[in-house]
Amino acid sequence: MTKGLALFNGILYSLMILMNGLLAESYGNYYSTILVHLFGLIAIIVCMKIKKKRLFPKEVFPLLLYTGGAIGVLTVVFNNIAFSALGVTATLGLGLLGQSVTSLVIDQWGLLGAEKVPFKKKKLIGIAIILAGIAVMLFL
Amino acid sequence: MHILFAVLAGTTIVTSRNVNAMLAKKIGAYESTFFNYLVGILLSIVVFFFSREAFVPFFAPESFSDVIMYLGGILGVVAIVISNFITPNISAFLLTLLIFISQLVTGIVVDFFLYHEFSIPKVAGGLLVLIGLVYNLYLDKKDEPKSAK
Repeated sequence: MTKGLALFNGILYSLMILMNGLLAESYGNYYSTILVHLFGLIAIIVCMKIKKKRLFPKEVFPLLLYTGGAIGVLTVVFNNIAFSALGVTATLGLGLLGQSVTSLVIDQWGLLGAEKVPFKKKKLIGIAIILAGIAVMLFL
Repeated sequence: MHILFAVLAGTTIVTSRNVNAMLAKKIGAYESTFFNYLVGILLSIVVFFFSREAFVPFFAPESFSDVIMYLGGILGVVAIVISNFITPNISAFLLTLLIFISQLVTGIVVDFFLYHEFSIPKVAGGLLVLIGLVYNLYLDKKDEPKSAK
């Protein structure tokens, strides 16, 4: 059940890149980003109403903690730009490279509340294989 | 240039996920998702105004892809809710692996059916990317203390 949902989630992510990309082709990159967030906002408010959760907690925390959504806007914009030229598969492959390297940096110094995990040189082998895969995708 | 943007999308995914997780620890997963979209829509409105992009009025859907393209934002929320639900029940290793595999397969299927593009290099490259990821994830798993499972 859990494994099935994990696989299902991967499908959702890919379809999301496709749908947001199509929306961007119809409405433009930036206006479509507003629409993506509008529909997402409506969906999460419906979820929270069903779960009977408060939208705004009483406590307020440092501003930095609320910037996740702002960074997420960049993800949508970047993906849309890349998708238009590269298609879904290559966009995903390059995104995975970005995710791997960023995770390694965050782990190395224990940034953003993550546990400190020192870098292992052996991981360069994994990164090299990923780079090779991307080279095959893009240049063959 | 497009290549750089695709890589940066991966960087911002991880950064945003970590920041949202920090917020979720304080106020809860749903609440953190709500703020993610609230801040996101405000910023994207600001960006739109500065971008001088033309405003395209809403048009009636004419084809299948006109209908499904509106669902991306909703799928994003469904994915977050599912991931909140399954993350505690599965090892990070297996979770990452399963998500990446189904992502790549879906990407290949979509490129094939919608764009009639089936390139052996893309599939082979995708497999290589997967092998590299699995190898690094395996290194992480090997060093995990067994009691932490």
